[in-house]
Amino acid sequence: MKLTELFKMGEFVVTSEVGPVKGCCRPGPGAEDPAFLQEAESIRDYVHAVNVTDNQSARMRLGSLAAAVLLKRRGIEPIYQLTCRDRNRLALQSDLLSACSLGIDNVLCLTGDHLRKGDHPTAKAVFDLDSVQLLKIARNLNEGCDMMGQPLTQPTGMALGAVVNPNFQPLDLQLLKMEKKIAQGARFFQTQTVYDPKVFETFINKAASFGVPIQYGIVIIKSPQMARYMNEKISGVSVPLSIIDEMAATPPELYRPKAREITARLLGEIAPMVQGIHFMPMGWSDLIPQLVDPVPGFCRCGAG
Amino acid sequence: MIGTTLKPFSEILQVLEGSRKVAVVGCDGCAKVCFTGGADEVAAMAARLREQGKDIVFEATPERTCNVVKANPVLEPLQDQIRQADALLVLGCGGAVQITRQLTEQYGLTIPVKAGLNSVGHMDTVIGGTLALEQCQECGDCILNETGGICPVTKCAKGLLNGPCGGAEDGKCEANPLNDCAWILIYKRMSALGELDRLRRFVAPKDYSKAAKPRTLHIKEGRVS
Repeated sequence: MKLTELFKMGEFVVTSEVGPVKGCCRPGPGAEDPAFLQEAESIRDYVHAVNVTDNQSARMRLGSLAAAVLLKRRGIEPIYQLTCRDRNRLALQSDLLSACSLGIDNVLCLTGDHLRKGDHPTAKAVFDLDSVQLLKIARNLNEGCDMMGQPLTQPTGMALGAVVNPNFQPLDLQLLKMEKKIAQGARFFQTQTVYDPKVFETFINKAASFGVPIQYGIVIIKSPQMARYMNEKISGVSVPLSIIDEMAATPPELYRPKAREITARLLGEIAPMVQGIHFMPMGWSDLIPQLVDPVPGFCRCGAG
Repeated sequence: MIGTTLKPFSEILQVLEGSRKVAVVGCDGCAKVCFTGGADEVAAMAARLREQGKDIVFEATPERTCNVVKANPVLEPLQDQIRQADALLVLGCGGAVQITRQLTEQYGLTIPVKAGLNSVGHMDTVIGGTLALEQCQECGDCILNETGGICPVTKCAKGLLNGPCGGAEDGKCEANPLNDCAWILIYKRMSALGELDRLRRFVAPKDYSKAAKPRTLHIKEGRVS
């Protein structure tokens, strides 16, 4: 089901995220589900959909389309993430046609992390298109033609999402790009993780007028080390010292409940400002059932 | 200019293995500016090669080795010496190496022409003798008029045309924190010029056919094919 339909119905949309494994995922006798499928299964009753990352952090993994299709087959609604880093315009359009043909209803269109940060730093970066242009060609495909204006035998019909970073300074420049994404076809947004409700409020006060549903994105902080790592290594993200200190004052065996407490507090402050939440649990998907109620009566794909 | 750096001497010795008589050809243009292939660097390379037992047949430094008009008058009179050489080592950009090879072929000589430098980009000198920046990719479709004279194709690590990614922090690039985020620079420049509205326009995907390799410039006609 398209996320856009859920937003239209007034649903508060909860999504989470899994990262495909570095390896093949062919089911066989005695084969255990890989971690990303186990994680998705563990939260299936608590989220409307699950993002599937595309070679996240420029690290080579199982493809996001294959992983998204595996979720779909299990009745878990995937949000197929597609980045511009590794594909030129032919491949991007072809993959969008493939995604729709395989039952994908939601696509999140991204630029992609730079190769320099990944595990193949010597690769040739593609970036033939940017995320705004990708949204436009995805919209074209929905409307029945490719980016050269050539008609398709059958159009795609997917909900198009995009991302925005409320932490970005100058914020007006990030908002300018957000508006361009909306103008070219973005119909829902997931934000970068934000830990300062004031930062989020400043952002939402400006972005709310754009009239497009926004999901508050949050990476669950699992330890003070992780928080410090994010501040040092993850560009565009800032974890306040108060949260790091709070985590650091917690015995390691209690990191998990503390992570739940911090996340719940942020959700309490920020969720009222938005139309949904997007969790980035970094492997701690088991916390999600402790943070949100089950999605009541949600009719999942393949399940009715 | 074309930026160049000297290849490791061990690599140069490796490519010259088996070549006892070597001619060293530099370039008094870009390579001189980079201190990699001017007359001084050619002399220094010749001295190092002599220490390794090489015979230096000649040293030459055309004003622009990538330009036949400049290189030919220097190399043509040296044909007899070139004939004696086992290899030519060129301390110039990749263009200088290939023009030197082309000229030796025109002279009817089949002599290995080796590169002593790595070419590292179209570079603009911002601090003389110290620092040069890559600011233009020669994409064939210049958009500097739309971006306040700052090129996102080159200066944005991802070559984004419609604004920044979300990765910049403290004004610095996600891919290399030593670099400024090109889009923040563009934004500030366009703000100062009162032209921010230009940035709101959708920029269509780039026409990369204009940069399809290898391009030929028909100088008199001002045409690329």
